[in-house]
Amino acid sequence: MKKIAALILVMLLALGCVAFAEGDEITLDVIICQYGPNTQDWFLGTGMDGTNFVDKFEAENPGIKLNLEVVSWNDVYTEVSTRIQNNNAPDILNIDVFANYAADGLLLPVKDYCPDELFEDFFPSFIAQSVIDDTVWAVPDLASARALYVNKDILDEVGVEIPTTWAELEDACQAIVDFYGGDVYPWGIDMTTDEGQAAFSYYVWNNDGGFVDADGNVALNSDKNVEAIEFAIGLVNKGFTNPNPATQTRYDLQDMFGAGKLAMVIAPNQLPSYLADKGYEVNWETAALPVNEGATPGATGVMDRVMAFKDDEYPDQAARNEAIGKFLTFFYAPENYVGWVSMEGFLPAVNSSVAALVEADPSFEAWLAVLDSCQFYPTALDNWDAIKQGVIDVEQQALTGGDVKTLLDDLQAKIAG
Amino acid sequence: MNTIPIRHKWEPYLWLLPSLLLMSIFVVFPIGIVFKLSVSEISKSGVVRGFIGLKNFRDAFRDPAFGTVMLNTAVWVVSVVGLSTLLGFITAMALNAKFFGRKVARSIVVFPWATSLVIQASVWNYIIKGEYGNLNNILLNLGVIKSAVNWRATYQIEFAWECGVGIFVTIPFVAFTVLAGLQSIDDAYYEAATVDGAGFWKKLRHVTIPLVKPSLTVCTVLNIIYVFNSFPIIYTITKGAPANKTDTMVTLLYMRAFYDNQKGPATAMSVIGFAILCVCAGAYMMTTMRKEEA
Amino acid sequence: MRPSTPETVRRANLRALAVALLAAALALAMLCLPLYRFSATVFAKKSGNTFVGDEKYQAVRAEVEAEAARRAEVTGRMPQIVENVTERTNSKGEKTSMVAFEVREVMRRTGWQFIASGLGCGKVLLAALICLVAALALLGAGLPGAMATDWPTLPASKRVPRRIAAALGLLALLLIPVFMMGCNLAFSRQIKLASDGFAKPGLEALLEKLDRFLYDGAAGEDTLSLMGGVAYGPTWALRALIALLAAFTLGALMLSEGHPAEALRRALLYAFVIALCALILYPYYVMVITGFRSNAETTDMYFQHLLPTKWVWSNLSDIINRGVPRYLLNSLMLSVGATGIALLCGIPAAYAMARMRFAGKKAFLGFVIMSQMFSPVVLLVGISRLMNAIHLNDSVWGLMFINAAFNQAFAIWLLRGTFVSISSEMEQAACIDGCNTVSAMLRVLLPMAAPGIVTTLIFVFINAWNEYTISTVLISTAANKPITVGITQFSSFNMIEWQYLFAAALVATIPVVILFMCIEKHLAAGLTAGGVKG
Repeated sequence: MKKIAALILVMLLALGCVAFAEGDEITLDVIICQYGPNTQDWFLGTGMDGTNFVDKFEAENPGIKLNLEVVSWNDVYTEVSTRIQNNNAPDILNIDVFANYAADGLLLPVKDYCPDELFEDFFPSFIAQSVIDDTVWAVPDLASARALYVNKDILDEVGVEIPTTWAELEDACQAIVDFYGGDVYPWGIDMTTDEGQAAFSYYVWNNDGGFVDADGNVALNSDKNVEAIEFAIGLVNKGFTNPNPATQTRYDLQDMFGAGKLAMVIAPNQLPSYLADKGYEVNWETAALPVNEGATPGATGVMDRVMAFKDDEYPDQAARNEAIGKFLTFFYAPENYVGWVSMEGFLPAVNSSVAALVEADPSFEAWLAVLDSCQFYPTALDNWDAIKQGVIDVEQQALTGGDVKTLLDDLQAKIAG
Repeated sequence: MNTIPIRHKWEPYLWLLPSLLLMSIFVVFPIGIVFKLSVSEISKSGVVRGFIGLKNFRDAFRDPAFGTVMLNTAVWVVSVVGLSTLLGFITAMALNAKFFGRKVARSIVVFPWATSLVIQASVWNYIIKGEYGNLNNILLNLGVIKSAVNWRATYQIEFAWECGVGIFVTIPFVAFTVLAGLQSIDDAYYEAATVDGAGFWKKLRHVTIPLVKPSLTVCTVLNIIYVFNSFPIIYTITKGAPANKTDTMVTLLYMRAFYDNQKGPATAMSVIGFAILCVCAGAYMMTTMRKEEA
Repeated sequence: MRPSTPETVRRANLRALAVALLAAALALAMLCLPLYRFSATVFAKKSGNTFVGDEKYQAVRAEVEAEAARRAEVTGRMPQIVENVTERTNSKGEKTSMVAFEVREVMRRTGWQFIASGLGCGKVLLAALICLVAALALLGAGLPGAMATDWPTLPASKRVPRRIAAALGLLALLLIPVFMMGCNLAFSRQIKLASDGFAKPGLEALLEKLDRFLYDGAAGEDTLSLMGGVAYGPTWALRALIALLAAFTLGALMLSEGHPAEALRRALLYAFVIALCALILYPYYVMVITGFRSNAETTDMYFQHLLPTKWVWSNLSDIINRGVPRYLLNSLMLSVGATGIALLCGIPAAYAMARMRFAGKKAFLGFVIMSQMFSPVVLLVGISRLMNAIHLNDSVWGLMFINAAFNQAFAIWLLRGTFVSISSEMEQAACIDGCNTVSAMLRVLLPMAAPGIVTTLIFVFINAWNEYTISTVLISTAANKPITVGITQFSSFNMIEWQYLFAAALVATIPVVILFMCIEKHLAAGLTAGGVKG
């Protein structure tokens, strides 16, 4: 048995030695989130005109190797935080949040690696979303804008117009319920653990409320917010919505909408391509989100980011920064980036690709206009994660009978205090 | 005694060495790290800072969902272990009887175990979807129900489904352990009992159960541990929604660690869970094993 | 057990026969009573922007009453007119109202009417009737001349007809729920599908039959819309029919077996096993039919088809193109490696635990069990740090060791039980002959313990094959992912490609199931040793 134990140890050592051997070239660890069924194929398979991102990049940039991993959104937080706890952060990360990483001093400032020419190319309003203490910590990789989608056939049959205010929305919902009974849900709400914060923004931003007040301080329990969330919960309790808002995700809603079981839903701009992919035939129209009477409309935009982590142990920092810069330059080059953005129907983050995208699909132009007026989550707050999970928790508590005012007061006390 | 002579006093330890080594490196070392982390400050993104004493534990106990989740965990462990043991026992009794197609039936019963939990949970999640799930599909198309049913109307029902799936995947393990015990019972015992005029229930109580008990003991201990630590079923079907009301301890600490970024309290929670398991499984083992020895 | 004399047998048989005949007669009588009660709309009219009493209201009301009168001429009964007024104030403060008129009729349909309707459910009822009549005939053939013959000595010519009669009685009983399901299909399911715009073939014929059955052919083209408003439910006669058929079956069973307890117990056993197997196979059925559906059909919210309309076999080639074979290979390597390591470490430990006396035996057992008490999810950080330290991150090798380590408790428990159950005499003899303990174990014990080792092997193999959480975090290169992690690419952020997920899940399950089936015999044998003496 000694032999076996020895064998195991020898094996461990041997593997360790193999792993230590390193060449001259630089290897970048990259983590990309899986946006849809094509992401993996585009980066690692054959989805980029027969080749893939990694092969093409390595061919054009000798001396730089990519160890690129596409991770599902379900697992990416687990993986990244485990790696950070073990001082093994990736070099380049694509994810939605950045404030915590910046607060812990893990990120490189964008200026350190991003070529000026590329930096100028980003939409300034997007870059502004990734600034903490006047330093830009991440660059946007793509965005999407949310809008109201309605099933025109259902609305016509019932005889209601597209609602623009909350009162009209309730009328329309009631009319649809009267007409169809339980066969068609009038309104889709997603208050799931995955994306409940979006629902929060849809209602509070259209009632002049928000996550933060005018001075940028967290203000979750404002009267406007309470009113907005009570309205949303009211829709559920009146039976105007899909039956299980706490577990029915946006994709469940999109499927219901496609099947004609849901009359109205708030969804991102890539909904049409989702419907087409699945073969749904719906006569849809888009409109602005309904607002509470007298409030200023607020569209919701969502943006994800690319950021680079520090690696103090790497001997040649300049070479590393340059490699990261090359990665970004390659990624955002129109011939690559256009394919990436349009593949899953997202909206671009750089100017240089806009022309090509609009040419391919004229409907992009309208969306870009919407994007201009969008509000984004306050992701630069270092307690954004607590806010996000907090509002989701409030929504779900309210769904099971909790009092919105008390819940939001408690949350505010917890976050601010 | 069924032993063999050994030449040196240290020889048994040599035999244990590979196993000890394997477990020490790959299990005990990570456990040690968890203990260390539980008294360390961990930043939201995961950077480990210094020692902060028992603050993480205090935060864990103060977690607003802690009470609900402990209750859920108790319901989860007791119902899944209890019912799967009961049903597994009945299944084993049935599979031990002679009937046409027994070999096929036995092969079928191992199926749920041969499929990973993630997949099982995904399938059941699909089955009970009210909008397009297969349960509605099959019941409607067979005419059993008149219109589609929302099979997950409240979170209590959803939690019951989760327990059901837990029981479903645990039955084979129990069934085969018990079946093995049943097969080894000498028919002579039953014949003697029949001569004494014992009926079905009497035989069950006085012959079957006592003889199967030893094999159930260790199986139940392992079962308690596996079920307590089981994570994919709840994570796949509800993710604890709404508001942690369907979470158990392990899913809650996962959500706290990776969704809410409260990594310190989450690590403390895992140590608390470990302590609970040690007490429960330990107590169970002590009582049952002591009885056996007596 | 009381001894049975010809007299007691005859009396018992008479009793049973009386039960059976009475039940059958009553059951036949039930067919003449209404089995279903329908509350049907025969005419409907809606009018918007109306208020009760105004001109528009009067006009519609007159139209509805004329229709009711026409209907009364056909059926000879005046139907009921229901008036529903919905009043609502909209957000602008305007009052609106809608009046809906319905001409409703309560109808009852007897069993014979069902049978005569030509509907699918009627055919099922007819089949049940035939079963019952045939069972009666068989009882007639199986009884004369053998009324007083004790059951164990019944000649086959008498026993077989009685048994078949009981079986037919059971079949008739089981056909009643099928009949009710058929009613749901005809009266609601297919109507609902058709009104949602998904007409099934044969709809025309069905509507024609329904028209004749419910509306005496008066509804014509309106049948579909009228059927949408039909409420229906079984009457007490149908429930009585179920009870009567059960009584008949029991009577026939008593005639064929004497004491039905044993027969019932057998029936219960089969029922349990069949139900259990059906339940267990159900998720696999779902995987098969969903794995080969088209993407759109996986989320069909109208539940149009029980089975895929078209079996999309290309799902299989799609998942193959997306790397599934590579993942399978990784899983195979990982599981084989983990099993090998677990056994290499576990066998000696179990041997020492089973065969040697030493201090700290219990402590070791406690240590083994304790090592299992952390969920792998909890240990992620620790494991990942360890793997970084020994440079086994992102490698199948690392996973092998982890899985082997996490299965030590189980392996040692099973193996120790196996070894304990085998007598040590042979080894002792071998030791006296000059073998050392190592060769005693290898040459003498292991061959005998083969079944137990096979069992352990398969348990560890399956656990390693199914491991997911640790692999997710440790493995980052696509080419190193095991299948459990590989298939997560089909379910990104809850946007799940169900067809690929399930096709891949099937592919991942099949190898293990085959392995299991091949080894089932050893499994039971091995567990016997491992469990009982453990």
